[in-house]
Amino acid sequence: MAEQPTRATDRLAFLLSLVPFLMEHDGISVADVAAHFDVPADRVREAVNLIAMSGIPGETQQYLHGDLFDINWDEFVANDRVVLTNLVAIDDSPRFSAREAAALIAGLQYLSSLPENADRGAIASLMAKLTRGASAAPSQLAVAPTDSHDAIGTIQAAVRAGVQVEFNYLDAQGGHVLRHVDPLRIESVDQNWYLRGWCHLRQAVRTFRLDRMSDLTATSTPAADHDEDVVVPSSFFQASEHDQWVELDLPESALPLIADYMPERAGTPDAAGRMRVSVRVAHVHGLKRLITSLGGLVTVAQPAEARRVVHDWATAGIRRYQGGV
Amino acid sequence: MPPTSQPPQRISVEERLFSLVLALIATESGLTKAEILETVQGYRQRYQRGGDNASLERQFERDKDDIRELGIPLETIEPLDESGSNHNLRYRIPKGLYDLPSDVSFTSDELMLLKLAAAVWREGSLSSDSQRALTKLNSLGVDSTDPVLGYAPHLRARDAAFEPLSKAMDRSQVVTFPYLKPGEPAPRRRTVAPLAVVLHEGRWHLHAADQESGQRRTFLLSRIVGPVTPVPGKTFTPEPDGQAHHALEALDRLWEANTARVRVVPESEAELLLRKRTAGEAGPAGRAEEPAGTDQALILHFTDIDILADELAGFGPEVLVLDPPRLQEAVMERLRRVAEAHAAPDGEDTHG
Repeated sequence: MAEQPTRATDRLAFLLSLVPFLMEHDGISVADVAAHFDVPADRVREAVNLIAMSGIPGETQQYLHGDLFDINWDEFVANDRVVLTNLVAIDDSPRFSAREAAALIAGLQYLSSLPENADRGAIASLMAKLTRGASAAPSQLAVAPTDSHDAIGTIQAAVRAGVQVEFNYLDAQGGHVLRHVDPLRIESVDQNWYLRGWCHLRQAVRTFRLDRMSDLTATSTPAADHDEDVVVPSSFFQASEHDQWVELDLPESALPLIADYMPERAGTPDAAGRMRVSVRVAHVHGLKRLITSLGGLVTVAQPAEARRVVHDWATAGIRRYQGGV
Repeated sequence: MPPTSQPPQRISVEERLFSLVLALIATESGLTKAEILETVQGYRQRYQRGGDNASLERQFERDKDDIRELGIPLETIEPLDESGSNHNLRYRIPKGLYDLPSDVSFTSDELMLLKLAAAVWREGSLSSDSQRALTKLNSLGVDSTDPVLGYAPHLRARDAAFEPLSKAMDRSQVVTFPYLKPGEPAPRRRTVAPLAVVLHEGRWHLHAADQESGQRRTFLLSRIVGPVTPVPGKTFTPEPDGQAHHALEALDRLWEANTARVRVVPESEAELLLRKRTAGEAGPAGRAEEPAGTDQALILHFTDIDILADELAGFGPEVLVLDPPRLQEAVMERLRRVAEAHAAPDGEDTHG
């Protein structure tokens, strides 16, 4: 998060937060400030420079010396330490905005449905504090509790014990394969939980959806130590040379519905607002489920094989209602 | 000396904003706009005494919005004897409302939880809102305990509608957007007063008062398929707190009340994914008693029949809807539409 470019309002929040912190930590090093706020040291230096030259117009309206913040410049320049020697106007932490408080409260609501954060009392008191610390009633934002997954406990125990897990995994083509995985991390996106781990079958880091696993157990086989040599990719969707391109026709307004597939525009919308896009898929069997779940809004244009797969899938579905199997 | 005779030194945006906040906290009685533009760092360099300061005034209006967005209570005081006169409005930030109340403090464990809570949001406006909250929390100087390793729960709030909607909620602003209702072929424009945004069963919902029908409606954020824009000059009276809570309760009641019965092909993706969502009547115990090779009957709860129909249609032949009949019809209708849209061109055998 430290390397992201920041907006002026974020930088203002940083300045307003830095002042009371520096007041309480006389003579702290720039490096320690940077570590505490999780920002680059240069950003701290810039902010301290700006604070030291800022202040209020004062009675003379001329920003005279006594109306400005001041620091011990020798300490700052020679030793990279910050000593505030004059304070102006503010001496306390700012309140949260309605939306800032709401974002943390909604995050807490989500965490509180996870087994290891079961201390509801602590979370409730934390939410009350955030509400009290906000300058306006927190925005109306809420997250319903999620069902926690039994598998999470098993995997976490395996991570702690440093052992492999073993499970049957249903891939998107419908095949079940027994996998042995060194668990690295559990992640959830929306209501779905994922295990990221070193797959001994594929000899690579793979992502597994917890609800596609069955017969999950922690084994007694030690997991290899991957801390140094394995990079867990940040994206779930890893492109491969086996991917194929499929062209889809859809109304422009339906584009957000296939955003997960990162469609590339392959033309401009026609008079009726329909357009063509290309998407990259690992195989058409995942795509056929998506297309069928969109109920005819999005159609496959190319290749013919993909059209056929979708057609057969939908037709097989209809046949179930006609007494066939 | 005319102020235009030398190029003003470049003052950064944050320096101007910071100076404005300091000036408005330091003043007891408030400053008029003219005083601010004339004296505050970042404005005074560009102020033209007796000249046209229209662009600088617009800058000040935007800066006020930015400062309020941070949760800083920037007040406007109307002089008692001159109400109606815009000219002598005074601005200030009451220090007592600016400072975090002294009884709001956090322990190291609490800070660790709050950091985890902030990390739940990985992208979009909720992420920047919670990162800013963390910056403010850090000013308290508490060091957090280390979080549990190997654990990164996060939620997505990347629907493009999210940020404009939460802004509009905070400003009690009526908005309009194109909405593609599940099961309908084309979007329709809706105009609503946004009341709450809630995450329920993995989907973000907007709870809002529809301005046309006057009714409360729930919208899926993922189905808002175009920009959310404010209706100029149209605001609404904010509802009492607890709207988000009510919206979740209403969705829960709906979810509880609606059930569907479906058969799934054993060992299929549908079985695996839907079984985790069953109402419990056909739980794991029931599974063992079913004869091998028989389709499993599951009972599913849902909030919106068209969303469930979309989802079930995606499973194709792996799912057979038993009831309610309306759900069965909706699924068949979707499958038929998909089959027709993907039929081979005339004269060509589908199976070539």
